[in-house]
Formats: sequence, C-alpha cells, structure tokens
Amino acid sequence: MPPSDFTRRNVLATGTAGLALAQAVKADTYQSDPKLPPAETDRPAAADPLHGYVFFSTAEASFIEAALARLIPKDELGPGAVEAGVAVFIDRQLAGPYGQGDHFYLKGPFPKSEPTQGWQAPKPAEVYRQAIPAVERYAKDSAGASFAQLSPEKQDTVLKALESGDAKLKGGVEAKTFFALLLQNTMEGFFSDPLYGGNRDMAGWKLIGFPGARYNNRPYVLRHGERYPLPPVAIGGRPDWSRS
Amino acid sequence: MKRWLLLGLLVCSGAQAADDLVARGKYLTILGDCAACHTRKDGPELAGGVPLDSGFGTIYSRNITPDVQTGIGGWTADQFYRAMHSGRSADGSHLYPAFPYPYFTHMTRADDDAIFAYLKTVPAVSYKPPPNKLPFPLNIRGLMSIWNALYFTQGEYKPDPARSAAWNRGAYLVTGLGHCGGCHTPKDWLMGDENDRALSGGVVEHWFAADLTGNTRGGLASWSANDTIEYLKTGRNARATASGPMGEVAELSTSQTSDADLAAIAEYIKSLAPSAQKQPSAPDPAAMHSGEAIFVDACASCHLAGGKGQPYLFPPLAGNASVQGSDPTTIVRLVLDGSRSPSTAARPTPNAMPAFGWKLDDRQVADVVTYVRNSWGNAGEPVEAGAVAKLRKR
Repeated sequence: MPPSDFTRRNVLATGTAGLALAQAVKADTYQSDPKLPPAETDRPAAADPLHGYVFFSTAEASFIEAALARLIPKDELGPGAVEAGVAVFIDRQLAGPYGQGDHFYLKGPFPKSEPTQGWQAPKPAEVYRQAIPAVERYAKDSAGASFAQLSPEKQDTVLKALESGDAKLKGGVEAKTFFALLLQNTMEGFFSDPLYGGNRDMAGWKLIGFPGARYNNRPYVLRHGERYPLPPVAIGGRPDWSRS
Repeated sequence: MKRWLLLGLLVCSGAQAADDLVARGKYLTILGDCAACHTRKDGPELAGGVPLDSGFGTIYSRNITPDVQTGIGGWTADQFYRAMHSGRSADGSHLYPAFPYPYFTHMTRADDDAIFAYLKTVPAVSYKPPPNKLPFPLNIRGLMSIWNALYFTQGEYKPDPARSAAWNRGAYLVTGLGHCGGCHTPKDWLMGDENDRALSGGVVEHWFAADLTGNTRGGLASWSANDTIEYLKTGRNARATASGPMGEVAELSTSQTSDADLAAIAEYIKSLAPSAQKQPSAPDPAAMHSGEAIFVDACASCHLAGGKGQPYLFPPLAGNASVQGSDPTTIVRLVLDGSRSPSTAARPTPNAMPAFGWKLDDRQVADVVTYVRNSWGNAGEPVEAGAVAKLRKR
C-alpha cells in the first residue's frame, strides 16, 4: 500500500475490521484435563449419497458436467471426473460451508487489493452462480452454441480462453478467477475421500497409486524399491471389508 | 500434676486411636469402591442416587453420608454391621443384593466399624434418592429372604491355615470388601452368583468382566503376580489396559490400595484354578478374510501387524485375555465405542482408542472381532452380526 493511502480513514476502517474479526473467531480450547469421550470421535460429515443436485440448477449442471468431461476426461487409464462423481462433490461443497464462504472474512472494507492478498472474489457459490451464465453467453457469442452442445475441440477453446483470461465475461466475474476455482474444485473432487461424493470407487487414487487413509505405514517405510502391496482404502473402507 | 499429665496422654492417645480408625475406614471405603455406586457423577460424595441396573429394574443407591434424615446419621455401629453382614437395613428390612452384602458378610466387625467411623466424618448431605423402579413382585423386599436362602451364606471369612498370610489376606479382600465377584463371577437367571464358576468372568452392564482364573485363553494364566499388581496399581500393564467399569475401579479404588494388599490380592488370584475351557467353533473363512482387511487398514496402525501391540500403549492382541474371552461383549464394545484408559497417579495421561461404530457395520465389527479372536494363536468363539447389533442398541 503506497504511503499516500495510509489515511486516518483507512486505519480506522481496518481497525474496525479487526474488531469484527475478533468477534467472529471462536477457537476451541482444551483445558488441562481434556474431556474427550472416546465415543465422540470426530465423525466426518459425509455427502448425502442420494443422487441429484442440491446447489446446481439443471442448466448449471449441464455446463459443469460438460466442463468436467474436458478437464479430466475418461480415457484408457480409467474413469474421468464425471464418472468419478466430481459434479456431485462440487455441488455438495457449494451447498455447504465452503460454498457459502464460511472460511473467509467477507465483511468490508474492500480496498483495492494485491493478488498476494488471497481470495478477492465473492464466496465460491456466488462465483459459480454468476460465472456459469456468463460463460454460456460467451460460448454462444464466440462459438455459436451453449457449452454442452459444442464439440470437444471447441469446448477446449472456450476453456483455454477462460484460463488465460482472454475471454471477457459479462457480469463482473473474472474468467481467470472462475476457471482457477473450477479446476481447483475438480481436482479436489477427483482426489478427496469418496465419503464426500467424488473420487468414486477411489478412481483418482487408483490412477496415481495413492494408498489412501491408512494411519500408519511404518512396516513399509524402509522397504525401498518394492511395490506397496496394499490396495487403497478410504475412510469408509474398501471392498474387501465386506463379504462378497 | 502427674495425674493431669496422665489424663492428657490418655485423651491424646484416644484421639490418636480415633484418627487411626477413621484413616483405616477411609482406606477401606476406597478399597471397597463405595463411591462407585454411592457417589453420583459430579454429585456430592457418597450421597447415593446412582441408578443401578439390577437386571430386573433400576435400584437407586442409598445416601450413606451422616445426614440423620436422609443418610445413615441415625444408625448405630451395630445396625451398620448388620447391614454389611446380613443385608438388613436399620429397621431390619431386607436390602437388595445390588448392595453386595453377599461379599461384605465376609468382613470382620473391626473393618466394618472402621468404615462406619469414617462415614460419620464425611460431609452430611440432605438428599433423598429417587424410589426404586422394580416390577412386582420384586418390589417386595421380604422376598429377598427367599433369594438369601438360595444364594446367601452369611459369615465372616475363615482363614485357610494351609495358605500363607498374604493369600488369606488376598482371599479376604477379593471375596469380601473388594467384591470382585460382583462383576467377575457369572450370574444365573436370578442374578445369583454361580459359585462353582467363581471369578471366571461375567457380563455386567453390557461389559464382560474378564475371567480372573488361570484359564490359558480368556483367563490370566500368562499374567505374573507382578502383572496383576501393576494393572491394579496403574490401570495398565504390558499386556492389557483397563477399560469400561474396570477403568473406573482402577482410578477410584485399586490405584490407591497399598502395595501389600495388592500383592496379597495378586497372590490369591494367581492361585485360582483354571475355569473350564471349551473348544471354539472354527470361524467362517469369509469372516476371517474381511476381518483381516479391516484389521490391516483400521487396527494395525496401533496394534501392529501380528497383533503385537506396543506394551503399555496399545495392548497386544495376540495372547490377550479379553480378546479371547468366553464372552466377546467387551471386545465388541471397544471396537464400537472406543475407550479411554484410566488416569492414575502412576499413569496420569490416558490413552484412547477411537470409536469405529460409525464406520463399520454390524457384520464388519463381527468379522474383525472374529479375526482378532482367531489369529496369531488366539482362539475364541466367532462373533455374529446379531450380537453386535444388540450391543449397538443397548
């Protein structure tokens, strides 16, 4: 921030923001005797396994599914993002605390910021909601059809324009911001625990050889040059846990 | 002058004797773990009102503080001795054997007097526990005379001259004030002790209290006397960690028992003849297969491959008595709900096992328990999913 911006107004505003922050943050503290009843182990909140979208409208879902099929396509190596349930993962994320920006400080002031200052856009759910219609308009204007109707090659052209920022979206959302968020969420969905809706049948982990959620791999640490013998396991287990 | 001095000395030594009596009474009150049933969680000391599941209905423990109206402040030492020795209340009515008088009857009058003297010194609390919830006809106290005729043998402990003084002291504590059989001796359908199978393990409040005899699978054949002493003193040893009600017993009672008494208890327990052993049925290979997969992914992080465990931290499962118990209730509950080890002076920092009930279904819990009960030299009757479902719903 240049010295000329260092005004009394800015200082006061920042101070107010600091106060608001101090009120909003509530930390869990453990006293000297941690009362942690064993049965109350933190149980992760699993995604609702029922099919159907909670956040996305039909039109939004049609764009998301088409875009996911290009970001991680199904190929000879295995299922792609669509087959692995990534659309459901993103849908549940956007409907939940992440999409609602619960992890962000979302109050003013909103001075002009630097890219190094972190997230500078509305909450993630809002970014998707504003960007998808704008991208659809861009697709119609530049390629002549809604995104899902385009050929894979033309879809890639649109996505590349979003990624580079060459596409100018109407409605105030930056194309680069949206693309970066979509790509990030797609990877998260493809590699997160299947409990959260994506990475179905541990497809993402099988692709890269990730062994999953075992707490301790000590027996294998010193066994160099050998293949890790165990199949991947998710928080909810693996097929071998149940009798076939 | 001399006479005054003498009188003063007498008064002082009288006060000293009274202090000693109260101190001994307090020690015995802790050894008998009276607080386990007579002190509510976060409630006033020994004021009663703890709900006890008798197997037929709920019995609420008495207020044993010296409050005259609601406690035992109006009782005499004779009445207290009769309660401990004969299971009768101050007015002569029958007490329910949820109050373990079938064990306390073995105690000496001197020990009962010491406990009574101590109870007179705890803060008097005016508190009336809720009425018992017992179905007809068990709500008729007089019927306990029939129960007593069937199960109750009144009489103080008679030392066995063929045994050592320590063994006799151990037998006196285990079968008397310690009332170990209250949980560790199997009960018949009227909740009476099956004395021909004394201390061979019993199910109480949905926990299985382990077989304390020399049984080589579910019993303590592999435990040395020192193992037992360490377990009672600290809440764990290289082979096992106390869990459930035994964790409370270790925390509230046995960790504060003198080394001499613990050694006596250990010597007596080590002398118990092995309980009968049945050859368990062979486990279903499908259960062993899924059980092994669950063990490798979920259990082996701490209990290690081969069930070797980490002595004092994560109990070894190979050769473990609880794991191979004749009844799998405790081991199933540990998997379902997890556990937290007791905090004692010697081992103040508890270890915890997480709960797996939220991620394993009944069949999976049954399979992993069947697997650990039948691997690495262990042998135990396979567990069915239905047994897990019952414990989940308890």
